[in-house]
Amino acid sequence: MRRRILLGVCLVAALGLVGGCAGMDYTSVANIALKTAPKVAAASRPINDSEEYYVGRAVAARILSANRLYTDPQLTLYVNEVGETVARKSPMPNTYKGYHFAVLDTSEPNAFACPGGIIFVTKGLVLMCGNEDELAAVLAHEVAHVANKDGINSISKARWTEVLTTLGTETAKQYGGAGGQLVTLFEGSIDDVFKTIVVNGYSRGAEEAADAQAVKTLQKAGYDPAALEALLTKMASKSGGATGIYKTHPPTADRLAKLKSETPKGTPGKMEEVRTKRFQSIKM
Amino acid sequence: MKISAWLQKPWGWLVILGLAALLCGAALAAAGTMKVTQSNQSLHAEPNFSGTPIAPVPPGAEVNVATISGDWYQVEYQGNTGWMHRQAFAQTQAPKVGLPGMLFGGGVKQTKSDEVALAGKGFTPEVEAGYRQKNPNMNYAQVDRVESYKVAPAQLQAFIKEGGLNP
Repeated sequence: MRRRILLGVCLVAALGLVGGCAGMDYTSVANIALKTAPKVAAASRPINDSEEYYVGRAVAARILSANRLYTDPQLTLYVNEVGETVARKSPMPNTYKGYHFAVLDTSEPNAFACPGGIIFVTKGLVLMCGNEDELAAVLAHEVAHVANKDGINSISKARWTEVLTTLGTETAKQYGGAGGQLVTLFEGSIDDVFKTIVVNGYSRGAEEAADAQAVKTLQKAGYDPAALEALLTKMASKSGGATGIYKTHPPTADRLAKLKSETPKGTPGKMEEVRTKRFQSIKM
Repeated sequence: MKISAWLQKPWGWLVILGLAALLCGAALAAAGTMKVTQSNQSLHAEPNFSGTPIAPVPPGAEVNVATISGDWYQVEYQGNTGWMHRQAFAQTQAPKVGLPGMLFGGGVKQTKSDEVALAGKGFTPEVEAGYRQKNPNMNYAQVDRVESYKVAPAQLQAFIKEGGLNP
């Protein structure tokens, strides 16, 4: 029996050697591998970068179905310049398809980080920022949510387990096609993420971790690390009720106290004035 | 059983040939040259997008593939060794590898379409297409517009310098 098994292994390997050297087309073998590999992978694996990207696109599409894009080229470019400047100093300088920053045409202050790197900031929040450093603080905080995978991690474990189970069956049979069950699970995943980043907000722990990371990122980028604290203090002094950013990123006293204890003290440099001037030169 | 005894049996030769094939297959598994087809690609120190990229790799550049791990290819380019994501080579041929490559986790021959190459994974372009068909009110046109927002590297450098920020 052992001989037969050994012979089988050797024959397969020999076939592979001969075929590999001769450059054979292994389409049929690849198909078999494609059909069986997902079953093996279905045991357990996290969401990968490309999957996160498609979830992020769908979440962004849903946000843009309810909010108009503010397409002013000057502001859009400026927000992307500030965003890219902080992203490159964050723990995740790149994503699968890169970071993209956009402004939503609403006066309600808010910001959303879609998984994969699409980040929205509302016109209302840009107006609330007093200078470029505060805008950088907002974007560094949102980049931290992307880097920490706070959005994508809101997909329920049960749903993701179902995705993996489905991969072992339907998709494998439908090579090149998407099963209806996967689309339904995708829809559910979008709901999970949307509820977290747009409706209910992140957990207190996720918010505090993003704050701490944003402070580090600001410092590494050369921005004033105290800019986030300054903006949150400003937000807390205004009564925003329980909607918008006051619900998704509430500036609670505890959050502010923790942020204050983590923020290094420094004095504004001359270049901060230069940055503030260019911030003020952007017409809105 | 001693090796000399194996050689006296016809299947003994097959065993030796098989072992040689396995060893040879491991070496052939991932060797090859691939052409970068996508813009904004970089060499990464680790097989993930974290950390500062080692160096940019322009479209059209040919890289030597050393090993393949999942979606990541360990490559050598202009004296630098690092990792590139599979997306960099979308819509091209993967290095010619045979069954040994597959046995050892090497790259399989890719199909022409990145979309098809991604089939068998969870959330793919096909799943997005199904979702869009089911939810036609989702504003994907604007998402595509947002994804076109990109700052040219030279412009970003000038912005950073002007603001007294760290490059």
